[in-house]
Amino acid sequence: MAISKRQRAMYTRYAIYTLSVLAIVVMALLVDWTRLGNAMFKWEIVKKQFPDILTSAAKNTVVFTILGFAGGLSFGLLFALMRLSTIRPYRWLAATYIEIFRGIPLLVTLLALGFGIPIATGWNWPNPYLQGAIPLSLVASAYMAETIRAGIEAVPKGQMEAARSLGMSYPRAMITIIIPQALRIIVPPLTNEFVLLIKDTSLISVLGVTEATKDLARFGRDGVNSSANATPLIVAGLVYLAMTLPLTQLVAYMERRAKAAGK
Amino acid sequence: MARNTRVFAAIAALSLVVAACGGSSDSSDTTTAGGGALELVKDGALTVCSDAPYEPFEFQAEDGTWTGFDMDIMRKIAESNDLELEVSVQPFDGIWLAPAAGKCDVVASSMTITEERTQAADFTDTYFDAFQSLLVRKADAETYTTLESLKGKTIAVQTGTTGEAYAKANATDSEIQSFDEASAMFLALESNQVDAVLQDYLINKERADKQGTSAVSAKFEETPEEYGFAVEKGNTALLQILNKGIKDLRDSGDYDTIYNKYFIG
Repeated sequence: MAISKRQRAMYTRYAIYTLSVLAIVVMALLVDWTRLGNAMFKWEIVKKQFPDILTSAAKNTVVFTILGFAGGLSFGLLFALMRLSTIRPYRWLAATYIEIFRGIPLLVTLLALGFGIPIATGWNWPNPYLQGAIPLSLVASAYMAETIRAGIEAVPKGQMEAARSLGMSYPRAMITIIIPQALRIIVPPLTNEFVLLIKDTSLISVLGVTEATKDLARFGRDGVNSSANATPLIVAGLVYLAMTLPLTQLVAYMERRAKAAGK
Repeated sequence: MARNTRVFAAIAALSLVVAACGGSSDSSDTTTAGGGALELVKDGALTVCSDAPYEPFEFQAEDGTWTGFDMDIMRKIAESNDLELEVSVQPFDGIWLAPAAGKCDVVASSMTITEERTQAADFTDTYFDAFQSLLVRKADAETYTTLESLKGKTIAVQTGTTGEAYAKANATDSEIQSFDEASAMFLALESNQVDAVLQDYLINKERADKQGTSAVSAKFEETPEEYGFAVEKGNTALLQILNKGIKDLRDSGDYDTIYNKYFIG
């Protein structure tokens, strides 16, 4: 009966391994692969998705993401600096903005701004990309502002003090000393935001899509509809993966390098 | 001994998994009805998939009760078979596949019977004739009276609907913008993002009557469409019940009562 703690840990581990393998085997046996393949991965339908899924749908997703990220990053930086400002109204303004846009679902923001601004002002969106990307970037900037603020606060206080004592002005020190160091800290969480943003673009289609402005997810859904088969959606999912995996790998590489650099 | 108990636990856990997987298929209820076994998604209820709100066919009254032309017909048929009416709201795009996916027993969602859809689901006899139409902003009511007048303009349609198919086939000179849901189309029209909404006449008319800032400028009567309810392919037991229900309602005059309630007066 007497087994050591180590032995017990070992047995538990074996039990977990066995269970996992068995679960996988059982699932593999239970699944009707031919039926699944016919319903969700038909090769001739896969081929039909190309090249439009890349030249049109993926391109649109990338355009929405880049516009959203660029806008989000610039506004986010602005609001992060405002939150750290010594001037109270700036802090209040930034805090209110962040709370509002972080608290309201993107879907609601999209509908409210995408349709609400034209109704309220009579002004029309010049093109559907801005109509989708601007609400997206406003929401993204609320999240990014907090990330950037955390990054700036993580830079040791002494850096700012040293810069100021060398005669740099506050903005100068911020731009040349603090923000570059903060950026290095926030690259991983910002990539996370970027990946989330890629997927969030799939909500933009609530504003309506034309043949030319369909994003990846919408392209996949429409494909399911026209081919009466789930394959297009699976292919769209794989294209998303093909976009996000290199990104996350790149960041992992950058993190390893940063670690090696002794930080 | 410890080892054996763990192996035993593993086997026990595994058999639980298998039992859970195998058991799922016989958890649905079977009731016998004329023409074979009637299987329902939920015991004692007729579960209906619908893309709601889509007034006046399917929407919730202020107290939350499901009402509308489709819903009243479904409730009557359910009641005459001693069943409750359950409603599951689904997006219209591909809704005819919902019974096969086990989401509901039947789709009642102002759905036109089309060649393509009958390949994926079985339809009841038709219970309604519908027409496509144009809804425009009131100021444009005299201008956009045909599809030709919308040349170079943007037309809103709902994804997966016959309205979308109609627009793609007939409005080739216009930009066609597809939406997931009807409410977004109305917002797009109001915010000048689109110039017309192309969909079933009665839905457009309801909107125009209710809201007052838009008007129905055209009704395409040369292309009537027939609505039907859809069940999973091969579910003849339920199909018979529904067809009998529709026929009984027409024979008893209840159909006309419901029709008049929503479309006349």
